[in-house]
Amino acid sequence: MEVFIAQLLNGLSLGSIYVLLVTGFNLMVLVARIIQFAYPHMVVLSMYACWEVLQLTNNMFLAILSCIAVSVILNILSEPIFRRLTNRESIDINASFVVSMSMALVITDIMSHSLNYGFPIAFPASWVGESLIRFGLIILSKGQIYAFGGGIIAVLIFFYLLYRTKQGRVFRAMAENRYLARLVGIPIVKTSIFSYFIAGLLGGFIAILFSVFLGSASPHLGEFVALKVIATSLVAGLGNLKGGLVCGLLLGVAEVMVMGYISGSWSNAIAFIMMLLIVLIKPQGLFGIKI
Amino acid sequence: MSPLVHYFLAFTAVNILMCWSIYLPYRVGQLHFLTVACMAIAAYFGGFAAREWDWPFVLVLLVGIGIGTFIAFIPSLAIGKAPCFTVVIVGLTYVFIVKTVIENWEIVGGTVGFFGIPRVEHLLPITYLLLIIVGFFIYCIDHSRLGRAASVVFVDKDVAATLGVKVKSLGMFYQIIAGAIGGMAGVLYAFLIGSLSPEFFVFHMIGTLMCMLFVGGYTTMWGVVISAPILGGLPLLLPSTVASWRQVIYGVLLILIILLRPEGLITRRMLPSLKSKSKRQTIW
Repeated sequence: MEVFIAQLLNGLSLGSIYVLLVTGFNLMVLVARIIQFAYPHMVVLSMYACWEVLQLTNNMFLAILSCIAVSVILNILSEPIFRRLTNRESIDINASFVVSMSMALVITDIMSHSLNYGFPIAFPASWVGESLIRFGLIILSKGQIYAFGGGIIAVLIFFYLLYRTKQGRVFRAMAENRYLARLVGIPIVKTSIFSYFIAGLLGGFIAILFSVFLGSASPHLGEFVALKVIATSLVAGLGNLKGGLVCGLLLGVAEVMVMGYISGSWSNAIAFIMMLLIVLIKPQGLFGIKI
Repeated sequence: MSPLVHYFLAFTAVNILMCWSIYLPYRVGQLHFLTVACMAIAAYFGGFAAREWDWPFVLVLLVGIGIGTFIAFIPSLAIGKAPCFTVVIVGLTYVFIVKTVIENWEIVGGTVGFFGIPRVEHLLPITYLLLIIVGFFIYCIDHSRLGRAASVVFVDKDVAATLGVKVKSLGMFYQIIAGAIGGMAGVLYAFLIGSLSPEFFVFHMIGTLMCMLFVGGYTTMWGVVISAPILGGLPLLLPSTVASWRQVIYGVLLILIILLRPEGLITRRMLPSLKSKSKRQTIW
């Protein structure tokens, strides 16, 4: 029973991070109308930036700032590339997917070649933190608490922005119907750029939580995470924010449970098999597509 | 023949086959990366059967094609008509699952790899003969009612359905053929190279194939015939310090081609004008 609770808590922490990733991904799908496969890769690159700053300055505040700044800059730099695709008569979502896959290739290769000579990075113990709560086999580390708590706070802030602010109304209007949104005077390009900015902010925050939770990163981490995030988004329903919330948490819990009771090397494959079956049986997703 | 030329020709042939296996489902608007999983499974099966059971090459090739066909058939029942994005994720997930299974299965070498696949005499000419046969087959499909139906489905699935095209059956057909070609490519790759590693069947390979297909031109089968040797040969032409960055080069090329010339270098519209130019030259 203690193992189960420990795994459940671990799963909820990991699930919180997946929820944030899926939320950022879905924001791009709804507002910018792109499939941003490279979003998790940008998060991992931000983790590398954070690590580099920590190595150079040993200043946590600077590391956090650099993480967020790199994520925001990367996202905003990608906006003009995708804008060329969305300016055509019909929004070419498949072309955006191909372009974002190319970006992911480029980012992964840059990390493999030039950052830490391609070796995985490990964050210092002062960054990751020690275990704070011990109860038998249940051990909660600072990373897990931050990931879970930070995830909840970030989701609450994001949904507040989306449903209680004017900017959020603008995002939802663009997600609903881009042309009608333009007709009522919503600045499409400016709002689209702002959505990239929000996604970048979220990405930077995710990178911090991921680094504290995992304590390490590798150049190919983005590929694993990207596949999980997009598959989770499909399972929930493409563009479905609330569905993404539920499915992200479920994925985190399922992955950790499988890792805890079956050999770790098979856990990823089993999680993917489960998602694959759901996608094949219900291609519209469990909660319905929202685009 | 020097080993460099041998491997260049071998990889070019396999790349062209794999690009065609992605080109075919994309005729109906589906990026079907499941063919990479078909290639991996057929390659490992072929290598294992040849080394452990002493199966002859022809039998291995036929069974490899059968394996690729079967693996592509099962998910095609669900994703025959699915949107491109769903097909991509299913394909990528399959590739990842297959890679994990191979890495954890010691009988096929696990992460170390599989070695000692027996050599086949004159395999390179046989490979190119098979390439010509497959190319002819694809040419026939492209210039048949199926090819014309696929063109309509690519533009608008609903209009195709109103014109009487069975969109799901057509999607399934192209996916299954692609799987068969992937299986063939896998077996040929295993015997041409003589060893296998799960690290080959990864995201980088998919990126390379996509680059060859989109840069060459996805509207016609001839684009990859030009782009595969050029892009595949880049690491041989460039200095080693630059060649090690080839994935970045492929990624940037792919982005540029999608933004500037989305149909690729060789488009369907170019082909009739190229044909008429060559006719005028022969008259003179």
